[in-house]
Amino acid sequence: MRLSLRPLDPFLGILILALLGLGTLTLYSAGRGTVHANLWIRQSVFNLAGLAAMTVLANWDHRRVLRRSLPVYLASLAALVLVLILGKVVSGSKSWLSLGGVSLQPSELAKWVTLLFVAHRLGTRPPEEVGNLELLGGAGLVLFPMLLVLKQPDLGVALTFTPILLLIPLVRGLRLRWVLLGLAASAALATAAWNYRLKPYQKERILTFLDPTRDLQGKGYQVHQSRIAIGAGGLLGEGFTAGSQTQLNFLPVKTTDFVFSVWAEERGFLGVALVLALFGAFLSRLLSIAKEARDAPAAYFCAGAAGIFGLHVLINAGMVAGAVPTTGIPLPFFTYGGSSTLSFFLALGVVMNVHHQGKTR
Amino acid sequence: MDLRQSRTLRNRLNVLQAFAWLMILGLAVVYGWLQLVRSRELQRLAQQQAIKVRTTPAPRGIIFDRNGYRLVDNRRALHLVIQKEDLATALPQAEALAAALEVEPDLLRRRISLSRGAGGNKALRLLDNLDEAGLAQAERLRARFPFLSIEVAPSRVYQGDELAGHVIGYVGEVTPEVYARSNGRFQLNEIVGRSGFELSRNEQLKGEDGQRRILVDHLGREVALFGLHEAKPGRSVYLTLDAGLQKVLMDSFGEEQGAGVVIDLRDGGILAMVSSPGYDPNIFLHRLEQETVDLYFRNPSRPLLNRATQGLYPPGSTYKLLVALCALEKGIITPETVFHCAGRKTYYGREFRCDGVHGSIGLVQAIAHSCDIYFYELGMRLDVDDIYATAAKYGLAAPTGVDLPHELGSRIPNREWKRRNAKRKVDEKWYAGETISVAIGQGQNGLTPLALARFYAALATKGKLLTPHLLYGVRSDETSKMEVAPAPPPKETGLDPRFWASLAEGMVGVVRYGTAKDSYDPRLGMAGKTGTSQVTTFVDKQHYAKLAKKFKDNALFAGYAPYDNPQIAFAVVVENAGFGAKTAAPLARKLCQYWLVDRLKQPLPPPGGKLPDAFEKKPEEEESTAAETDAR
Repeated sequence: MRLSLRPLDPFLGILILALLGLGTLTLYSAGRGTVHANLWIRQSVFNLAGLAAMTVLANWDHRRVLRRSLPVYLASLAALVLVLILGKVVSGSKSWLSLGGVSLQPSELAKWVTLLFVAHRLGTRPPEEVGNLELLGGAGLVLFPMLLVLKQPDLGVALTFTPILLLIPLVRGLRLRWVLLGLAASAALATAAWNYRLKPYQKERILTFLDPTRDLQGKGYQVHQSRIAIGAGGLLGEGFTAGSQTQLNFLPVKTTDFVFSVWAEERGFLGVALVLALFGAFLSRLLSIAKEARDAPAAYFCAGAAGIFGLHVLINAGMVAGAVPTTGIPLPFFTYGGSSTLSFFLALGVVMNVHHQGKTR
Repeated sequence: MDLRQSRTLRNRLNVLQAFAWLMILGLAVVYGWLQLVRSRELQRLAQQQAIKVRTTPAPRGIIFDRNGYRLVDNRRALHLVIQKEDLATALPQAEALAAALEVEPDLLRRRISLSRGAGGNKALRLLDNLDEAGLAQAERLRARFPFLSIEVAPSRVYQGDELAGHVIGYVGEVTPEVYARSNGRFQLNEIVGRSGFELSRNEQLKGEDGQRRILVDHLGREVALFGLHEAKPGRSVYLTLDAGLQKVLMDSFGEEQGAGVVIDLRDGGILAMVSSPGYDPNIFLHRLEQETVDLYFRNPSRPLLNRATQGLYPPGSTYKLLVALCALEKGIITPETVFHCAGRKTYYGREFRCDGVHGSIGLVQAIAHSCDIYFYELGMRLDVDDIYATAAKYGLAAPTGVDLPHELGSRIPNREWKRRNAKRKVDEKWYAGETISVAIGQGQNGLTPLALARFYAALATKGKLLTPHLLYGVRSDETSKMEVAPAPPPKETGLDPRFWASLAEGMVGVVRYGTAKDSYDPRLGMAGKTGTSQVTTFVDKQHYAKLAKKFKDNALFAGYAPYDNPQIAFAVVVENAGFGAKTAAPLARKLCQYWLVDRLKQPLPPPGGKLPDAFEKKPEEEESTAAETDAR
């Protein structure tokens, strides 16, 4: 097969490159003078590998990819089961699989595979012909890997499976009673989870979110320091590599979960507005591509991708500002991490092909 | 299926698109709230935790002896502290911290909250003078409690160990109790003199703390320096003490308890002041352990008491010079007056004894042989208030004014004193019989060794009343040379030279052929008076021999040397050592031997030098044999 740059959407590509550029700068500043000083280089390698993978996937016909999603889905389920048995524990979660010196987080890829498979299942027939049972089955396909991830336990990644459920109203439309039923179900689920499923540290995080001064030395400390960093940035920011919270290490885990606070402190509200606008345009573009798609599964996949990316942005940017409970999920293009980066780009590769096919027809 | 025809799906995707932008807008509002509305407040918080003002404690002045030996030095020491601004963070974790430090949680909590409320900017010290192991422990604690920090501050080193503990004293931090009483003179947790010279000259020695405005990282480590206000070190001072003489005097006490003072007759400077048992001020640099507390604070021999300025001893026969002076000045006797001593005599219906049978005896011989009958006769003829007046005139009634804290004034009884101190009505009246006891230095008399030495200094100088003092000079910051501090001017008492001549003749006789003749050395020209003061009453000699050590007599010797050109005056008290001539006089001889003979053979030490090793531990063999011979 011939590799070509032609299937790539220039608009989406520019947005991706812009976000990647800003993300790399931020990572450089965050790691400066610490043991993470070279992290931005490693991340750049991941990014380049990701871009390459994206280009390869953009050249593959997404319909063939979708058609072969069942074995991939089953394989990812197997990986999720395997990680529960063989995985190594990193910061309390058994979510990493070591394969000959390379550590992988199967859950990061699993959500995209799940999206792929559910989109395929729901999109093969016209929406009018999709029955309630099939929709319920689709939800089941999402919940199953999600529960496996919760078992690790990695609440953050499990949460990023939920946007796939968006496909249901997309297929069936949104009814008020469905919304109410959904809310009631979530409330019941949340209560049940609080009482039976959530680990004490997870409960503590939620309590700390509701009252950040509750635990200023522990979990609350991180968000407290992050909010100070963001606020200290003001309108214009303290300057690149000049954020006091960042450079004096008051800001915790600043190369991963709290990387966006570094940007906010050093580039101020104007910088934040720029990045948010880029993300807005990025999500919007994903949905536009969905609208242009030549088949339903492709449209569903792109919409689901927008949902997953959107949730990442919402939870991460909201969490570091103290607007959402502390949950460790990465901010796309900013947070350091190989597995998540690679997964994002693979998904974007599929999206690029959808765009290509929709354009050429 | 052609999706571009599916309007419903397109519409639903449009809604999603709107939702995406709504979400972005929501985030923008959250960030706008933090970065535009609350920016100033959060910026202040960021500065508060990154910019700190730290106090740089000023090094205290160095203390030299009169020859420039360093008696007290400073060294850089590390302390585990909670900085003032971190106290608020520390308070809620006081319990866990106390457990880690193995201290009382309530005590620690109280210290933290008191330090928080107090003025000043002093850090609260938790562990002082960290050694290598202590530093490792401190770092472990800091990992658990990030509000702890390690402060570099100068710490005292008392070079002579026990050499002059009572004179120099020690430093300590201002405790909440001291702080409450200080009326704002001190800051809480400040290091100040707590005893001795360190306390009395604290103002000169302490210097002025500096300040540093620094940028710290999240662990409180200094990253950058903004502003510096240098600490001003305290003044370095020279003591009038002579380390060599001090050492001789201290060593000659050995295991005995007591005190000795040597005064420089030129200006009243104290050349040596020893209180035995001594103590090493270095132990107070560390937080006290129970063992040490027991050893020093609950010890019945009270090693922390400076017996030279705080011990009140009945002066015994050393007081006879004052009584004689009183009688001479009152015109009751002349130097030629003679009384008869038959070894015993009855006064007011009670029999009094003399140690010998002296026959017809004049003033000079009465002093030389310490004839009690002679002075009983004076006591018969004198009024106690007259004796008091003479004592006051020669500086015995009030404290000497030495620059040491908590000096006690001597206790010289008179009618008013007895009235004031009487517990019962019948005890208020003064009985003439009591004056007889007072006349030989027994009874209610209580003198500090320092006051006694000063009285003999007045005798040596033909009536000059010196003010004993320890501050010899201050080191100039510019030249590093000593600037002599002017000594307090002496007071003339107007001692009649004729009276003086007789008294002096008597005191020379004491050593040459009198009670202290065993300690006679023609090279030294020592003059003085022995004293033996009863600690308790005993029936006879056999009974006395059986008494426990602590009930035995105190031995005293006070005097000056050399008699033809007096340079030093001294007083020595050896507690429960028996006869004054036997233990106290040889001790006085040793210090005269050093000052007038041995010292002059030694080269002067280099200025600013450390104490020679000889001061640490000196082979004593030869000296102690000599002392035994003397005593025999």
